[in-house]
Amino acid sequence: MKILIVDDFSTMRRIIKNLLRDLGFTNTVEADDGTTALPILQTGTIDFLVTDWNMPGMTGIELLRAVRADEKLKTTPVLMVTAEAKRDQIIAAAQAGVNGYVVKPFTAVALKEKIEKIFERIDSAK
Amino acid sequence: MSSENESKLGEFEAVVKDGAVDLLNKIEVGDFSGAIKIIQELSEARHNSFYNEVGYLTRSLHDAIRDFQLDSVEMMVQSGAGSTDADSDSPTRITDASDRLNYVIEMTSSAANKTMDMVDSSVPVASELQNQAKALHKDWSRLIQRDLTPQEFRDLYKRIDVFLKYTDESATTLHNNLNTILLEQGYQDLTGQVITRVNELIRDVEERLVHLVSVAGRVDSISGMEHEAENKERDDDRGHGPAINKNDNPEVLNNQDEVDDLLSSLGF
Repeated sequence: MKILIVDDFSTMRRIIKNLLRDLGFTNTVEADDGTTALPILQTGTIDFLVTDWNMPGMTGIELLRAVRADEKLKTTPVLMVTAEAKRDQIIAAAQAGVNGYVVKPFTAVALKEKIEKIFERIDSAK
Repeated sequence: MSSENESKLGEFEAVVKDGAVDLLNKIEVGDFSGAIKIIQELSEARHNSFYNEVGYLTRSLHDAIRDFQLDSVEMMVQSGAGSTDADSDSPTRITDASDRLNYVIEMTSSAANKTMDMVDSSVPVASELQNQAKALHKDWSRLIQRDLTPQEFRDLYKRIDVFLKYTDESATTLHNNLNTILLEQGYQDLTGQVITRVNELIRDVEERLVHLVSVAGRVDSISGMEHEAENKERDDDRGHGPAINKNDNPEVLNNQDEVDDLLSSLGF
């Protein structure tokens, strides 16, 4: 299980990376916005994408849409971890096909719960 | 200056009132050339009043812009720490504020990283303590149940000694790490002070801008200029940053529970 963490702040990437490690996911890679994330995704080695919304260059919602529009990547589960909390934005993310939405500041429990839920769904769909 | 202008407007009103009375009188007595003369005088007075108003507003606008620039110069002097030469390359208060905010980003980032460094170096220490304690406890239980061979007992005897030493050292390491984490929180004080000062600057600048805009608005209204209101609403796609929902805007969700509720209402 290889996870790509996309956030423009290195501290937030590190927090998420550490929390994921605690949950047993040790294989992680990082990118600082959608533009740098997309080529990594296109290598086809990423099983799970955790992305922020508000980033310079390509934003998280644009990245999500790009992933869903890509024939090879469209089934990749995407968890949004972001400070963006407008009703319309959450609806937009849901419509774009996000698998989970965690608002910052978040707790380790919230992150764990959403990730587990995503994997449960994927497993039951198999 | 506005009272001067108001008195001029008052003068114009007085001229109109007087003129109207004179006009009626002239018409009543059949002096039509006199009446036309009065109409011309009134028309001139109206023009003059209009030009006065435009002139006054132009001056006000000019003053407001000049004040704004002067304030910028004054801002430079204030921020120039010892430098009193306003023409030098000393930063304006705005660029100074921007530097200060960058400092906040650096400070918070450094504190977060150092704190995480300390957590990273503490976690293995705690794990190792836990592992050793578990292993010892297992053998200790066997000792209680008198289930140890004399050799095992001698081993345990030594291991306890090693463990106690290791516990002491580990506690010192953890203690130091916790202290470092504690001290790192000092960033809050320093960044708080910086942000307070930047806040004051923003309030200052806002006051002056509001004045400038109000004068400019009056120029627009008398000159009949109209500006198309730009759509200031930021694109949701570009993001808005952390929601600081002070006004309890129903369009902004306050926590994970509200987000979960919304998503489940959408069938998630």
